[in-house]
Amino acid sequence: MASDARSSAPQRIAEGVWHPPRSSEAIKAEIWVQGETVLVRRAGATAGEPALALGFLSTIEVSSRVGNVPRRISFSAGSLFETPDNAGIDRLLKQRGSNRAGAFVHGLERFHPRLIVLVVAVFLLATAIYRFALPALVEVAVLVTPDVVPQTMSAGTLKSLDATLLKPSQLPEAKRRAIEEGFAELAERADRGTGGYSLNFREGGAIGPNAFALPSGTIILTDELVDIAGDDNDMVLAVLAHEIGHVDKKHSLRQIYRAAGTAGLIMLIAGDVGSAVQDVLTNGAALLSLSYSREAESEADHYSVILMTKAGRDPLALARFFTALQEKLNVGAEETSMFDTHPGMPDRQKMIEQWAREAKASKAETK
Amino acid sequence: MAETSAQGAGGLVRAEFRGTASEYFGIWMVNILLTIVTLGIYSAWAKVRRNRYFYGNTFVAGQSFDYHAKGMQIFIGRLIVFAALIAINVATAIVPLLGFVSPIVFLIALPWLMARGLRFSARVTSYRNVRFNFTGTAWGAFKAVILGGAVAVLSLGILAPLASRWFYRYLFNNLRYGDRSFATDPRVGKIYGSALPAIILFVIGIVISLAIATLIFFVTNELPADGNADKALQNAFVAGLFGMVVPLMIIYFLCAILYRAGVRNVVMNASVLDERHRLFSDLPRFGYLFVVVSNLFLVFLTMGLMRPWAATRERRYIVRHSGITFDGDLGTVLDSMETSGVAATAEYLDLEGFDFGF
Repeated sequence: MASDARSSAPQRIAEGVWHPPRSSEAIKAEIWVQGETVLVRRAGATAGEPALALGFLSTIEVSSRVGNVPRRISFSAGSLFETPDNAGIDRLLKQRGSNRAGAFVHGLERFHPRLIVLVVAVFLLATAIYRFALPALVEVAVLVTPDVVPQTMSAGTLKSLDATLLKPSQLPEAKRRAIEEGFAELAERADRGTGGYSLNFREGGAIGPNAFALPSGTIILTDELVDIAGDDNDMVLAVLAHEIGHVDKKHSLRQIYRAAGTAGLIMLIAGDVGSAVQDVLTNGAALLSLSYSREAESEADHYSVILMTKAGRDPLALARFFTALQEKLNVGAEETSMFDTHPGMPDRQKMIEQWAREAKASKAETK
Repeated sequence: MAETSAQGAGGLVRAEFRGTASEYFGIWMVNILLTIVTLGIYSAWAKVRRNRYFYGNTFVAGQSFDYHAKGMQIFIGRLIVFAALIAINVATAIVPLLGFVSPIVFLIALPWLMARGLRFSARVTSYRNVRFNFTGTAWGAFKAVILGGAVAVLSLGILAPLASRWFYRYLFNNLRYGDRSFATDPRVGKIYGSALPAIILFVIGIVISLAIATLIFFVTNELPADGNADKALQNAFVAGLFGMVVPLMIIYFLCAILYRAGVRNVVMNASVLDERHRLFSDLPRFGYLFVVVSNLFLVFLTMGLMRPWAATRERRYIVRHSGITFDGDLGTVLDSMETSGVAATAEYLDLEGFDFGF
C-alpha cells in the first residue's frame, strides 16, 4: 500500500532555516517526513546526529500560503522552520490532507486568466451592492427602527437647539393662531393624522428664515420665515406641508442610514485601495449623497403640492414663496448644480407648477 | 557550524523587496471580491494576507519579516471599534450636547489608543523568529503626538520639524527587537535641512496660488452677473477663493511627501539597534515624489486596476532605499515573548487613517 511505502522510507520535503525556540539563531536545515513523523535535521548532518526538532503531521502548525512568501512551520516545543520552498510544503500538506480553505484562497489568487472573471465580478458586485443592496438595507433599517429612536433623537435636538440658537417666538398671537389652524387642517390630511405632528414657533436668530422637520414629526418654524410671507398665510402653510412631506417620507432617517452604510463600505476596502483612492471615494459618496438630498427636497415639494390641493388651498403658494425669498434675500436665482443640497429655485418652481396642474386634474377626476 | 551569520561580516546591508505586481494582483483581487461577497467580514482576513505578503517579501540579509496577526483577532478588534463608534453616535443622537464632550474624551483617549495600537503592530511583527515590541506609554504618546501636533499647527508648520523629532524619538526609543532596543536622536537642524526643498516649494506654491486667485478674482469680476455689482463681487470672491484653495491643497500634498521622505532619511540614519548597528535610509525625495504621484495617476486612469502594480512599486522603492549597517555580529537575539493583546486599538487607528507598518 502507498501509505506503507511512505512510512518506511524517510522523505526530504524542503531546505530552509531552523530557529531554536525564542531565538534569532539560524541554522541551515532540512525538513523530512517519515509516515506521521516530521523532523528537522541540520543540513549535512551525519547519520547518527539527533534531529533538531521533532513533531507529527497532526501537531505542527504550518502558515498558510500567500504568494511565494517564506513558509513557517512551528513545532510544539516552540522552534520554527522557515523555507522559501512553497511547492515542497504544499506537497507535505497534501499528505496531511488538511488546510483546504487556505489552499482554496491561494488557488483563486494565482495569476491565471480566471482572474479576469474575478475582476468583472468585483465591478458588477460593487455596482450591485451600491445600487441595490445598500438601498434595500437602508429600507430594512428604516422599517425596523422603533418610533422611540426618532422621538428621543428629536427631543434631544430640539432641546439643544433651544439652548444654543433658537429663541422664543415674538409672533402676534392672532397670526400664530391662524397658522396653527391651517397647519391642523394639513396634518389631518397627512399620513400620521392630527396628533402626528407638532408645530413649534421660534425666533430663528442666526439661522434666519427657515423651517425644518425632525424625524419625530416636530416641525420648527422661524418668525423670520413668517415675515417674508407677509400676509399670505398660504405661503407659510405650503412650506409646512413641505416639511410634513420630509417627516412622512422619513428622509432624515434614510439619510443617516445611507451615510453610515456608505462610510462602512468604503472603510472596509480602504486597506486594499490605498488612502488616496479612499479619499476620492469618500468625496464621491458625499457628492452622490447630495443628489439624494436634492431628490428628497423635490419629493417634499411634490408632497406639499398634493397636501395643499387636498386641503383646498393654493398649491402654487410654495412657488410664490420661492419668488418672495428671492426678492427679499436676493438669493437662489441659480440653476441646479451638482454641489447643491437643494435643487435650484427656477427648477423647483417649474416642477411645482406642473404638479399643481396634475393635482388639479386628478382632483377634478375624483369629483 | 553551518550557521547563517549574514550580518557577521559587517558593513551596509540593504533591504530587498521580492514581491511582484502579478502575484499581488491575484491576492488583491481576491481580497476585494471576498470582502464584497462576505459583506465586509473577510476584510479582516484580507488585511492579514495583504500584510503577510508585504512583510514576507521584505528581506534583510536573506531573511524576511513576518506578520502574525490572525484574521479572527483583527475581526474582533474591528467589532469592538464599530460597536464603540455606534454607541457613541447613538448617544450623541439622543443627547446632542454630548457632541461637544465626546471629541474632548477622544482627544484624551487618543494617546492611550496610539500607545496600545503601536504595541499591537510591533508585537505581531517578527524577523528571524523574534518579535518586535513597543514599550511607549500613553503619556509619552500625549507629549509626542498631541503636544507635538499642537506645536506644529500653532506655529503654522514652522516648528513641524521639532514635532517630528518628538514623534520619532517616541517611536524608536520605545521600539524593541527581542531583548535589544532601538534608539534615535535626530538633530533638529538636520531635519530642517532635509525639509528645505519642501519649505521652498511650499513658499513658491503660496505665491502661485495667490497669483491664480487674484487673476480669477479680476476676470470673474468683469463678468456681468445680471447687472448686479454686489453679486458679481461676491461671485468673484468665491471663485478666487476656490482658485487659491485648490492649488494650495495640491502643493500641500506634494510638500508633505517631500517632507516625510526627508525626515525619514534623517531619523533612520540617526537610529541605532543595540547601541551600535546603525539603520540606513537614502530615499531620494524627488524620486519618491515621482513614484507616488505617477502611481496616483496610473491608479485613477485604470479605475484602480493598476493599484497592485503601484503598491508593489512604491514598496520596492522604499525598501530598496533602506538598510542597516552592522557593526560586528548582532549575536543571538532572544524573544521576550509577550501576548500581542487586543487588536481593537490598532484597528481604531487603522480606521482613522494612521499607518504604523514597521
